Formats: sequence, structure tokens, C-alpha cells
Amino acid sequence: MRNAFQKPKGWVEAAGDIVKFFGRVFGELFSGRVFRFFGEALRQSGVLILGSTLVIWNLAFILGLTCGIEGAYFNRSVGAPAYAGVFSAWCDLREITPYSFGYMLSAKVGTGLVAEIGAMRITDEVDALEVMGISSMTFLCGTRLLAALFVFPFMYVGSVGMAFFASYIAVVQQIGEVSSGGFFLIFWMFQNPTDLIFSLTKAFSMAVVIVLVGLYYGYTAGGGPVGVGTATAKSMVLNLILVHLIGMLGTQIFWGSAPRAPIGG
Amino acid sequence: MMILSGKTIMSALRPPYPYGGEFVQQFLFTLRLCWFPLLVSTVAFGYAAPGLQAGNFLILFGALDRLGGFFVLASIREFSPFVAAIVLAGVAGTAITADLGARKIRDELDALQVLGVDPVKNLVVPRFLALMIATGLFNIYALILGIVGGMAASLTFKAPLGGFFSTLLTNASTVDLWGSVVKTTMFGAIIAIVCCYKGMTASGGAEGVGRAVNSAVVIAFTALFAFNYVFTQTLLATHPEISVIK
Repeated sequence: MRNAFQKPKGWVEAAGDIVKFFGRVFGELFSGRVFRFFGEALRQSGVLILGSTLVIWNLAFILGLTCGIEGAYFNRSVGAPAYAGVFSAWCDLREITPYSFGYMLSAKVGTGLVAEIGAMRITDEVDALEVMGISSMTFLCGTRLLAALFVFPFMYVGSVGMAFFASYIAVVQQIGEVSSGGFFLIFWMFQNPTDLIFSLTKAFSMAVVIVLVGLYYGYTAGGGPVGVGTATAKSMVLNLILVHLIGMLGTQIFWGSAPRAPIGG
Repeated sequence: MMILSGKTIMSALRPPYPYGGEFVQQFLFTLRLCWFPLLVSTVAFGYAAPGLQAGNFLILFGALDRLGGFFVLASIREFSPFVAAIVLAGVAGTAITADLGARKIRDELDALQVLGVDPVKNLVVPRFLALMIATGLFNIYALILGIVGGMAASLTFKAPLGGFFSTLLTNASTVDLWGSVVKTTMFGAIIAIVCCYKGMTASGGAEGVGRAVNSAVVIAFTALFAFNYVFTQTLLATHPEISVIK
């Protein structure tokens, strides 16, 4: 019987560890200690922009195309092909772009952080930093979180733009069911800046969680080269679960009881 | 990667077949690793994205019973396959890359070759087959759980489930189902090839394995969605009868 409780007990312990770690990284940020390494934070932002933006936009583009064709065929089947814009607007802005952002971020940035910091941990570079009197929490984790906070809102708005563009291509140019003007009339009618803010909040909370999970698994990696690989794989599992949960909660909170559509009362 | 896929398919078909035990082991490993993330992911996705959003839209027209019909499009055709693939790539794929990468770093793969054991036949082929079959089967599981998410959304709007099921079952077609299963089987093949390739070509010590996992996931995701787009487009264009609402 005691063995049966070992595993859940381990999970609870791990969850507590992770939350504690999150608290410490945020502490670095809010106490302002991280601003001593502002240059490093800017460098990390540069790494994020150059290394990840194109991949993330690429995924948003492909998913925007998929949304577009599904929307076009669905609206054709209900006999309202002119309304393909509704499907695209909602699918792109509210659901698919946050998810695609979360997926690609956990794949590219999250696992990248684990690999990078995990390797530093294995080769004792983290301890070397401490010996030199530099707080590794601040220098490695705090700066990366700050960089993420700088870069991700812009990256996300860019990927929303990519998804809109892709849906436009799929619906208007590829399927050709509706005219360009008709598509955009409906498309813009069914969304407003508040929706964008909601969507941004959703994606942004995913992004922060993903970065923190990546930092945690990298910082606590152990067990040689194999350990880094395993930690990377594990971070991916947790990230996927959290991305889906945040996506669901976000939808429930923001749009659960109010459709925010210009129809009826 | 193309060479590896060619080699894998050739050595999967050509006798002898020494990979039975490893295949079963990998298959069970995948099942054990993926069932829980997949459960959470598909229910969450099915409840929120198609369930709540489409439900919101339909409730404006007072046609909430149509949600079931929408779930054929959303769940069976689109999101169950891709959530299953994302979870398999993110969970099982990364584990495979980490495993093979670690073996590569410790020179175990070279040792196998010296012993006259073909790594492709004994390591890649069982993983390839196991992931193909597991992804196809997990798709069914994801599909059912996605519909459970839809039921939950339907109940949130305080609608009876009868309408949901009647539109779901009248709109569902076998073309949709086999399309979905074929698609996910292909997804499994893509994941296995990308992850095995990246694992077997890992280099550069501790960071190398992590980097290999990183790039394996990125390539797998991009390839999955690109394939998904092409497949959906082809299926919808060649089978116009499945997009008729009944």
C-alpha cells in the first residue's frame, strides 16, 4: 500500500519544487537584481529573436492555412461560404495561434533552455559562476526570463499576423469561395482589440510558464549527458500538459460565458 | 533522413525479423509514457477550442445540437490527429531521441555495429513500427476523449446530450475515420524517422544530446503540420461528400 502512494507523493514533491523555483526566479526579477545584468538580458533577447522567431511564425502560418481551408469547407457545407471569415477570425485569434505559439515555444525555446543550462550544470559551469561570486540564479535564469518578457509579446503579435495572412491566402486565393472585400468585412467584424488582448494574455502566460519550466529542468539537470537528454524530454511532457491546461482555462475565463460576437443580444 | 526512411522500410520488410521483442517493449513504453499527457491535452483542447468557442457561436443561433456535427469536423478530422501527434512527438519522440542520442554519445551504436548488429534493423525499425501503430491507436483514444471534452462543453451550456450525439452520429462518416487513422499513422512514421535520425546523429557531449532533442522536436512539429495541411486539403478536395452537413 505504501508503494502505491510513492509515485503521487513524488509528483507532489516535484510540483512543490517547481513552484518554489518559479518563486525564486520571479524574486530575482521583481527585486530588480536582474537589472545588474541588463546587457546579458539584451543579448538573450537577441538570441531569442534571431533563433526562434522564424520557426514560430512558420508554424503559425501553416496552422493559419489549415484553419482557412477547414473554415472555407465548413462554411460552404452550411451554405454560408461568405462567412468563412468568422471561422478564420475565431480559429486564428482565439485558439490556434496561442496553441501553435505554445507548442513551438516549448519545442524550440523550452527544450533549448534545458539543453543549454543543463549542459552548463553538467560541466559544473553553474558552480563556477557561484564560485566567482555571481549569483547563477540571477545571471542565468533571471536574465532569460527578462529577455522572454521583452520579446514574446511582439513575437506573438507577429505570429497572429502570420496566421491571418495565411487564412486570407487559403480562403480567398486558394479556395476562392469569397471575395477579398467580403472576407475582410466579416473577418474584422468578428473581432476587436479586446479579443487580441485576451489572446495575448493567454499566449503570454503560456510563454512565461514554458520558459520557467525550461529553466527549472535545465537548472536541476543531473546525471551526465544522458541526464540532459532525459531532462529535455521531461520538460516537453510538462510543457505540453501546461500549455493545454492554460489554453483551456484562458478560453473558459475570457470567452466562456460571453461569445463577444456582433450577433443578436 | 530520406535515406534513413528508405533503409528503415527496406529492412523492416526484408527477413530476418529480429525486432519482435524490442517492438513490444517500445510499444508498451510509448503507451505508458503518453496516456496521461494525451488524456489531459485532448480533453482540455476538445472542451475549450471547438467546444466552447463553437458552442458560443451556435448558441447565438439557438442551434446548440449542431455542436455534435461540428465535432466531426473539429475532432475527427482536425484536432484529435494533431493533438495525438503533438503529444506523441513531444513525449515519446523526445524520449527516443534522448535514448538514442545517449547511446550514440557513449559509442554504444558503434559497438553494436562492430558486433555485427545492424542499428537500423534492431533499433530504428522497432521504434518506427511501434510509433506508427501507437499513433494510429492513440488517435482513436484522442478522438473519444475529444468528444468527451465536447460533451463537457455541451453540458456547460446546459444542453441535453441527445442532440449532440444525434448530429455527431449522422454526420460522422467512415471516410473521416479512415482518413484520420491513415493520417496519424503517417504522423507516427514522420515522428519516428525524425527523432531516430536526430538521436543517431547526435554529437558533442552533454549539450549535444539536448540540442538533438531540441531540433528533433522542432523539425517534427513543422513536418507534422505541413503534412497535415497537405493531407487535409487533399482529403477535403477529393471527397466532397464528407463536408455535406446532414
